[in-house]
This record gives sequence, structure tokens and C-alpha cells, in this order.
Amino acid sequence: MSAWEGILYGFGVALQPAVLVYCLLGVTLGTFIGVLPGIGAMAAISLLLPITFYITPEAALIMLAGVYYGAQYGGAVASILLRLPGTPQSAVTTLDGYPMAQQGRAGVALFTSMISSFIGSILGIVVLVVLAGWLSRAATAFGAADYAAMMILGLVAASTIGAERPMKGFAMVVFGMILGCIGTDVNSGAQRFTFGQTELMDGINLVALAMGLFGVAEVIGNIRNAERQAAPEPVSLRQMMPTRDDLRRIPFPALRGTALGSFFGALPGTGSTLSSFLAYAMERRVSRSPERFGKGAVEGVAGPEAANNAAAITAFVPTLTLGIPGDPIMALMLGALVIHGVQPGPLMLEARPEMFWGLVVSFGIGNLLLLILNLPLIGIWVSMLRIPFRYLYPAILIFVCLGVYSVRGASFDIAAVALIGMAGYLLALARFSPALLLLGFVLGPLIETNLRRAMLISRGDPMVFLERPIACGFTIATAALILVSIWQAWRRHVSKAEEGK
Amino acid sequence: MNRDWADICGGAVLALLGLGVAINAGLRLDFGTLRAMGPGFFPTVLGAMLALLGAGVAVPAWRRGAKPVTIRWGDAAAVIAAILIFGLGMSRLGVVLACFLAVLIASLPAPHPGWRWRLVLACAVTVLTYIVFILGLRMSLPVWPRLP
Amino acid sequence: MTITRRAILALSAAAFAAPAFAQDWPTEPVHVYVGFPAGSSPDLLARIVTEPLAEKLGQPIVVENKPGAGGVIGIQQMLANAEGGHAIGTSINGPLTTSPRLVPDLGYDVAAYIAPIALVATSPLVLAVAADSEAADLQGFVDLAKAEPGALSYGSVGQGSGAHLTAELFDAEAGVEMLHIPFTSYAEVTTSIIGHEIDAGFMAPSAAMPQVEAGKMRMLGVTSAEPFAQVPDVPVIAGNAGVPGDFKAELWNAFIAPAGTDPAVIERLNTEINAILSDETVQQKLLDMGWQAAGGSADDLAARIGADTAMWGAVIDRIEAAK
Repeated sequence: MSAWEGILYGFGVALQPAVLVYCLLGVTLGTFIGVLPGIGAMAAISLLLPITFYITPEAALIMLAGVYYGAQYGGAVASILLRLPGTPQSAVTTLDGYPMAQQGRAGVALFTSMISSFIGSILGIVVLVVLAGWLSRAATAFGAADYAAMMILGLVAASTIGAERPMKGFAMVVFGMILGCIGTDVNSGAQRFTFGQTELMDGINLVALAMGLFGVAEVIGNIRNAERQAAPEPVSLRQMMPTRDDLRRIPFPALRGTALGSFFGALPGTGSTLSSFLAYAMERRVSRSPERFGKGAVEGVAGPEAANNAAAITAFVPTLTLGIPGDPIMALMLGALVIHGVQPGPLMLEARPEMFWGLVVSFGIGNLLLLILNLPLIGIWVSMLRIPFRYLYPAILIFVCLGVYSVRGASFDIAAVALIGMAGYLLALARFSPALLLLGFVLGPLIETNLRRAMLISRGDPMVFLERPIACGFTIATAALILVSIWQAWRRHVSKAEEGK
Repeated sequence: MNRDWADICGGAVLALLGLGVAINAGLRLDFGTLRAMGPGFFPTVLGAMLALLGAGVAVPAWRRGAKPVTIRWGDAAAVIAAILIFGLGMSRLGVVLACFLAVLIASLPAPHPGWRWRLVLACAVTVLTYIVFILGLRMSLPVWPRLP
Repeated sequence: MTITRRAILALSAAAFAAPAFAQDWPTEPVHVYVGFPAGSSPDLLARIVTEPLAEKLGQPIVVENKPGAGGVIGIQQMLANAEGGHAIGTSINGPLTTSPRLVPDLGYDVAAYIAPIALVATSPLVLAVAADSEAADLQGFVDLAKAEPGALSYGSVGQGSGAHLTAELFDAEAGVEMLHIPFTSYAEVTTSIIGHEIDAGFMAPSAAMPQVEAGKMRMLGVTSAEPFAQVPDVPVIAGNAGVPGDFKAELWNAFIAPAGTDPAVIERLNTEINAILSDETVQQKLLDMGWQAAGGSADDLAARIGADTAMWGAVIDRIEAAK
């Protein structure tokens, strides 16, 4: 079946009234749980699993997939308005989205995020259809050494974003990596820094960390400050709409973000986190005025949002073409199929074309629904900011607690949020970047396991990082990036010294 | 003297933490070899790095002035207490009571006098929580207090 | 409060709070604790059984997903909520057999804290290699492994996981030595085998099957005593290629209750679960997921726990001695 025939066939599947209803249900619920801080796909799957037993497998998959990418749209809302990211991807969005909201430009930030998300998703679908075969080969060609080299490049490239002093940025990345060490060591089974708590054996809950560092810390810091400012004036429709200058700043960051997101999303593992951080780092690097970043730059929202939405789409590449779920949540969604006797695998495209093409077309329909659903909601979200903060923040705290609890039903995690929130407040006061801590926390364990795995597989030969072509490419790129940064720093130093004379 | 105390303290705490992690991991976890890195390899190396970076943040800050920061311990305590009451009390008190208490405690530091709005807020948030999480998301949570 | 104290408190509570009359049980919704997230294999398996079970008991069943520590948290949570006598659980073999050896501060003693109800299903593992592997069959694989000790590498889903311990048992019984590369999921192991990064892996049949059908992997043997219905063409490893005839390694899944639960309640649940497992549609659903319906009495399950604890204990001894 050619791609065109497939797409036509897919329309036949996805436009069935019942399937359409489940698609709408999925994306609506996805937006909703995305807006609720911390509530993630896990809670949605528990909620929807019983329903999936009674509907066709393609409707079930389309609905669950709708939740998966719909949550990406919603996730930006809490990040921009309240600095409450539920995932590391949306943590990147807080860097410029939240300052924009504080400047009274929340509407523009939300609009930018929606449009970029839409661009990222739609182009992601094109990439999925056109390059699925190539991307799936890339996914199996990547070995442990390649992953390790790639993650190290990502870490180096992104390790100074959002930090006023590079040293403080590096310290946060390393601190995050140390926190990532907590739990059972994958290679030896040894318990590291678990202090006898079984709840820590799987590590610190990522959502608890993100919520504590950003949300709770922000609440503590704002209880007094927010009251002093007068409640923002009602925003007129005109102020909500982006200016011509804003619109000009969206397309290219969105395209670059899409490119990054499409590629990294297809690699099993951390695609979307890495791509949104890299998209942000890239925008800052190519910008003629990097000093605007962190203070409300439109590009800082557009790039990462396009990246993580494109990644959410191409994340289905290994799942659909290889039958290998790219992340644990995807694996759980597939569980719903297995119970229908559908075994996702390399042959699914041939054996069950209605699943593949129906899903691909539903991505397009779902994203259109999301855009239609979300654009009118912008006004409502923005008006939420007019509620005095004293009414808002106790509710935020409760929602954060239940969001964190929803991940794995552990009260321990709520207690952890309290502790992390306190630490996050102190770190924020001393102006250490929580986003970099989160980056280190996510990438650290992946670098460690892949590096150690690569050394085990190569029987201890470090040359593997230069012998494997992919790893070699990343290693050279990392070295080049470090050299360029040092050279730039030296140039700045010299020119400053000359100015001093 | 008006030094950059935020960086001095922040850097020092991170340095000590890094040192502690490195020593703890070095003593208790197997370091391994380059071929077969043990569970202690990364924590030890990362801890040492954090110790150096922390010192790198703290030492230059000694010769630098900065606006002093004030830590609002009261606000922090109320927020932390609210979260802990909710998190640890939920299984016994049930979501409704735990939520009501947590909101009351969280609202204490808000600089707006009066009790009535706090009680109304606690009721409102509790109702909202019940609607969203129990009715909407059907999370499996104890709703009412469990009598002994 | 430490875990241990929590569990002990729960235990004593369970002993006193059991309902007075078993025939009235259940008087309120039953909570089934599962140590894995919603949508995972153990969770789906629990749901396949609990759906008809709720009908038979005349009370709703709430599946409580408490994932963590390889299923251990699910058991801890069942024990912590034992008060009231309406908390039961499902568990895979690990937390009941090997975790007491591998997890410090476990917080429960299987023999003293847990009352077995019934074995639900068993699953063997298959030895899978890439389609173009040099090993034509199990004999070829063993020959390759013997030719150069440590040259062949295999992937598992973690140190101490069923996949790892099975491979160690195979090493010992076949007299070979393979290099262990721990991963965190079968998805990663599969990618790594297909990408020729590692040579083999003991995998869940349902994880290997799609790749085998697509011609990317081959299955050289199955670890059960008899051929497994989901992959009937794959030869058993026992008695093949120099492996002793009593070689057998199976994962399983069982219903359990906190110790102190009324024996009549256990008896009732055992009867109902056995009835459910004898239904052919249930058996087929389980088989589609790679599980063979089992059943049997509570004492059978207790015996199974004892036997497997001893068997895997010996394997763990060997791994620790090799360190």
C-alpha cells in the first residue's frame, strides 16, 4: 500500500463516527490532564483502561494516543501561567513562557505554544509517514555507546541554559545527576542512597521533583509578592493576540524545533526531553539577541513546544514499525491492545493496516481538534490570572499533591514534594536554575547506564566511542562544542579587557 | 559586610553535599574498574565534581557584593506543613478532611486579614478537589475519615 | 516510621480485624493490590481474573496499582491496608521468592505475613537470538558459548530479575559462561539483540514473538518442562544440548492475602479463582498475553513458593560467590 492509499484508507477508519468520538474524548481528556499539574498519562490510562476492553482496538489505540499527545498541549498551560510543569519538557517552556505571563503577555505565550505545538505535530506526522522506515533503522542502529555519546552531547549543549553564571549551571546539572543516582543501580542491583526506604528503590519520582522545584518553590516565594502587585488589568482581546513582531518570531524556531523533535522522538528513551532542551539551547545560540532569553522570548516557547509535540508523534515510530515501545507509557498503552489479541510488532503495518493508517490519520484529526479546542480556551486561562493569588495557591498545592500521588499512588511522594519544595525555594532564592537540575536528573541515569553498558559490551575498550560511526560523530561534535565555547569565552574576555583599556 | 551571601552559602552547601556523597559512595559502594564500573563509580566522581563546582561558586562570591535575600521561613513552613498534613493524613483522615485542613494551614501566611474567607476557600477547594479527582478522574482515594 | 514497623502493625491489625463470618464476606468493595502500573502485564492479568471475580463475590473490586521495587511495594501496601479484611493482592514470583534475598529492608517475611490463595498462571522464558545468529539451534548456541567462555553476551531486564536468574541457572546447568548485560525492559533487550549489540536473551514469549514472526529473531528453546502453547514449535531446553532433564524456570503470578485472613475466605477465593481459570475464554485471553492458566489449591501455591525460593536461592548463592 502506498502512502497515499494508506492515508485514504486511514481516513476511512478515523472518520467513522464512533472512532471520531473516542479521538475527541482522548484529546479532550489529554488537554485536561495536561493542564492539571502532575496528572499524567499514567492516571489517564488507569481511568480509560476499563473502557478500552469494550471498544475496537483501533478506537482504543486512537483514544489513548489522543491522551498522549493531547497532554502536551495542556502541559504548556500550567507551565506558562503558574510555573507548574508536570514534565521536564514543559519545564523548558516555563523558562520564557512564565516571564511572558508575568509581563501580561500570557495570552501571547499560550497562543505561541498552541500554534508551535500544532506546527510540530503536523510536520511530525509528515515525517512519520515519509521517514518511518529510515527512522526505525536509526532506532535499531543506535547502541549503548551511541546513546551515551548522544546524551553527553545533549547535556553539554544544554547545560548553560537559564543560568546566569555557567559555574552555577554546571553545579545544578551535576547535582541533578547525583539525585538521579538514587535508587537501585541497574547494573549491580545495589541500593544507592535509599536509606532503607523501599519507595526510593525506583528513584525519586520525577513528577515530584519537577513539581517541588518549580511549583511549590514558586508558591512559597509568591505568597507575599503577588499580593503586593495589583491584580492584573482585564486583558483585552487585542493584547491577547500576538503582534506582527511576535508572529514573525514563531515559524523558524518552530521548524527547527520540529526537526530536532522528529529525530530524537523516534529514538526509544528520552527523545522528547532531550529535544525540547536542545531546541531551547539552539534558539538561544542562533538568536541575534540571546540576552532576551529567560526574560520572555517568544522563540523560547515556540522552539521547545514544537519539538516536544513533534517528538510525541515520532515516538510512535519504533512502536508501530518495530513493535518496540519507545517509553514506558507507550508500553502501557499497548497493553490495551494485547488484551484484544493485537500484538504490536514489525508486521502490524501489513497485518493490521487499519491500526497504523487509522492512527496516523487520527493524529492529524486529533491535532486539529486540539487547536480548535484550545484556542478559545486561551481567554479563559488568562482570566484565571485575575484571581487573587491567595485564593489560587492553596488549590495549587492540593492539585500538586494529588498530581504527584496519581503517578504511582504513594503518599511517600507527597512528603517528598514538601522536602523538594523547600529545597527548591532556597535554590530559587540563591538563583540556581531548577531546569538544569531536572535536565541532569533525567539524563544522568541514562548516561550512566548506557556508558557502563557500552563498556561492558565492548569488554572495557573505551575506543568504542570512536570506532562506532554514530558515537564517533557525537563525540567529535561534543569536543567541537566545548572548544567553540571556550574560544568564545576567551574572545569575550579579551574584548572586555580591551574595552577596559 | 555586603557580600553575595546567596552564592557563598549555596556554593558551600553544594560543595559539602558533593563531598558527603563522594565519601559515602566511596566508602560504601563498589567503585569497580573502567571495564566494569561499579555502582560507586558515578556517585563518587559526580560528588567530587559537585564539591569542586560548589567551591567554584562560593569562593569568587566572597569578593562580590550583592543584594541581600530574605528567606521567608514562615511562608515556607506553612506551605510545607500543609503538604505534609495532606500527604500523610490522607489515608486516615480521607481526602475531604485532609484537604480542608491543608488549605486552612496553607492560607495562614496570606497577607489578608480575616477568617471567613479562609474557611470559604477551604470549603471551595475541597469541593473542587472532590469533583475533579474523585468524580472526574475516579482516583482510588479514601474520601472520608476512617474511624478506628 | 520504618517499613518493618508498619508491616508488623498491619499484620497484627489483620489478625484481629478479620470479619466474623466468612459467608458474609465481602461486606464492602474488595481492594486488589497490584505491584505494577495499569496496563502492564501483571495488571492486565489481575483484571482478567478480577472482572468475573467481582460478579461472583457480589461486590465491586478495586484494582489498586502500587508499582515499585519490582512488585514489592504492592505487597507492602496490601499489608499496610490489611485492616478491615478486604485487601488482597496479586504478585509475580519475584517478591515472594527472590526479593527477600535481594531487597534489603523488605518489611515482610513471606512465610509469616502472607497467606497464599491460588496460582493464576505461569510463563516460561524463551532463549532468543538474532535471526542471522551463528547458532542454528540450542546445541549450536551451547557450542558457541563453550568455544570461548564469556564471548557470548545476553541481556536481562535487571540484576536479579527472572530473566537474569534464569540465564544464570542455564549457565550452571549447561556448563557455559555468558556475559550479563542488564537492561530495564524487554523493549531494550529486543532492540539490542536486533541491532547485534548483544547475542541473546531469555525473554517473555510475547515480547519475542512479534520479532520472530517478522523474521528478525529466532527462539532456540523454552524454559518450561513441556512445550509452551503460545510457541508450540520451540523445543524445550531441558534434556537438550547437554542440559539436565530437570531444568525448569518459570515465572508465575498468584493471588495472595495478608496472613491472618480467615481460612474460609481464602478457601472461597481459591474456589472462585479456580472456576474462573477453567473458563476457556479466560484461558485464551491469558495465552494471548503469554500466560498459561494454572490454578490449584492454596497449599500447592505455598509449596511452589517454597520450592522456587530454594531453587533461586541457590542461583543467587552462586552469583554472590562469583563476585
